Amino acid sequence: MSQIQTVIVDDEALARGVLREMLAGHPDVEIAAECGNGFEAVKVVSEMRPDLLLLDIQMPKLDGFEVLELVANDVTVIFVTAYDQYAIRAFEVHAVDYLLKPYSPERLAEALDRARARIAAKDKVPEGLVAAGRARQTPLERILIRDRADVHVIPVEKIDYLESQDDYVSVKAAGKSYLKEQTLAELETLLDKEVFVRIHRRYILNIARLSRIELAVKDNRIAILVDGSKLPISRSGYARLKELLK
Amino acid sequence: MHPILSDRRRLALYLLGWLPIGLLLTAGLSARTSWPTAAALLLPLSLVFAFMSLNAGYLCRVFPIDARATIWRTVIVQVVAATMVSTIWIAIGAGWVGALNLIAPDLRAGAVFSERRLLLFVIGALLFWLASILHYLLIAFEASQQAERRAIELSLLTRDAELKALRAQIDPHFLFNSLHSISALTTVDPAAARRMCLLLADFLRETLRLGANNRIPLADEFALADRFLEIERVRLGPRLQVTRETDPQATACLVPPLLIQPLVENAVVHGVSQLVEGGTIRIAASRGGPTLTIKVENPCDPDRPRRQRAGLGLDLLKKRVVTQFGAEATVLVEEADGRFRVEVRIPAEVAA
Repeated sequence: MSQIQTVIVDDEALARGVLREMLAGHPDVEIAAECGNGFEAVKVVSEMRPDLLLLDIQMPKLDGFEVLELVANDVTVIFVTAYDQYAIRAFEVHAVDYLLKPYSPERLAEALDRARARIAAKDKVPEGLVAAGRARQTPLERILIRDRADVHVIPVEKIDYLESQDDYVSVKAAGKSYLKEQTLAELETLLDKEVFVRIHRRYILNIARLSRIELAVKDNRIAILVDGSKLPISRSGYARLKELLK
Repeated sequence: MHPILSDRRRLALYLLGWLPIGLLLTAGLSARTSWPTAAALLLPLSLVFAFMSLNAGYLCRVFPIDARATIWRTVIVQVVAATMVSTIWIAIGAGWVGALNLIAPDLRAGAVFSERRLLLFVIGALLFWLASILHYLLIAFEASQQAERRAIELSLLTRDAELKALRAQIDPHFLFNSLHSISALTTVDPAAARRMCLLLADFLRETLRLGANNRIPLADEFALADRFLEIERVRLGPRLQVTRETDPQATACLVPPLLIQPLVENAVVHGVSQLVEGGTIRIAASRGGPTLTIKVENPCDPDRPRRQRAGLGLDLLKKRVVTQFGAEATVLVEEADGRFRVEVRIPAEVAA
């Protein structure tokens, strides 16, 4: 049997130590890397494409679920945490197990057995299922964008507007724009409907950024944002906007 | 409606109470005339007065004896009211005598009444004042009962907040994480594992002990926070740094137990532990005259999700401070430039 390439992600050195020590009893499990935070984990997992991820949930900047959202889907995951309230969500994103700290070597061995079975069966998680699990946390509080090795975390209140670009969305926030691989329609369902409104086939506006609406020619209206930029408003978009501003 | 009129049993008791007064008046008058005449004249009039004197109740409520009342105002009001009530009573009496003269002329009530009119007027006024005094006493009694009930409610509220605070105090995740650290240390550093066990035991024992007190020296509270920080430093390592500026005048002050500890805990759980590079928690306590000021400040991630924001613990703290010190205390919470700050100002109390 080939070695199982494993990455340990936990912000506490001692917690990583326990795993390292207990994994020594499993010669088929090879520790490829250890990460102390979510950013590092995203980078390492994307580069190394390990078989198994031992993932803490409560971490600075990016939590375990967010790490999973940002990396490729075909990695087997065991969550390791002191918090029991994420168990249901963990199984929604198809984690093979959920270890509660502190755990015994036997309990870890059991989790590893499940991981071995999943890896052997090449029972990969179908594309999009991770996102589906993630989608339950709505409305979205922040948008995560992976830009090669870098990860940007954008709180939704900092977003000015979103622009559709085929299969991507361009996120405009604080004068910068970021490209996220997701369709505008998908993102629309995840955002707070009291704040974000689809004003046009190609645009979603943060209502807090709207300065005024101008009438261009005939029925064409234009949204003027606080920073002066202009966005077109479609007829149905105007109806939605009016509804929200009522 | 008057509380006596609203309850039939109370009314019966009240009127029964007037019977001896009526009899007493009858006995007093019977020396001058015959028993039947005195009784026929005064028993019905006593009954009428029983109802009239209830007006004293309204009067006492409209003109309460409080901070704004002067002796003169009270006396004038009572004299005018008594004169009016007694005058009306005598007028009713005259009417009743007229009726008696028609029904039973043999009793010769008219002569007796006109002879004793002035005395009856004075007795009426005195009885009205007596009723006023009783009503004032009743009002004072009700007020003191109400104050007592309020005090009990307030102390229950305080106790309730305290219990909740104590229950929220020991965060189960803190315990699980600490136990996990011990589990990690047992093989790599048994001595450190033992030290951690002792720290944890100390922290739990102190939390329970301090929580049972009404007031503790701020120094004790800081000692507890130190233990907590020491335990968390085992877990977080060099990411957790602490500085403290306290003056001995401040640490000698008495504070409600577990007031500062939740702030320090927030600073770790929602602040430093959520930063990749960690940071320094600044704790300061100072005393300026009658005010004790305690500040806890920590770096935080301004982009952290809302669910990770401290809310419940701080609300609880505010509630406790308000119930215990009222307007004399303030709790200031602010977040700016990646720093989270809480400032608690309470009256400085020193052990006697």
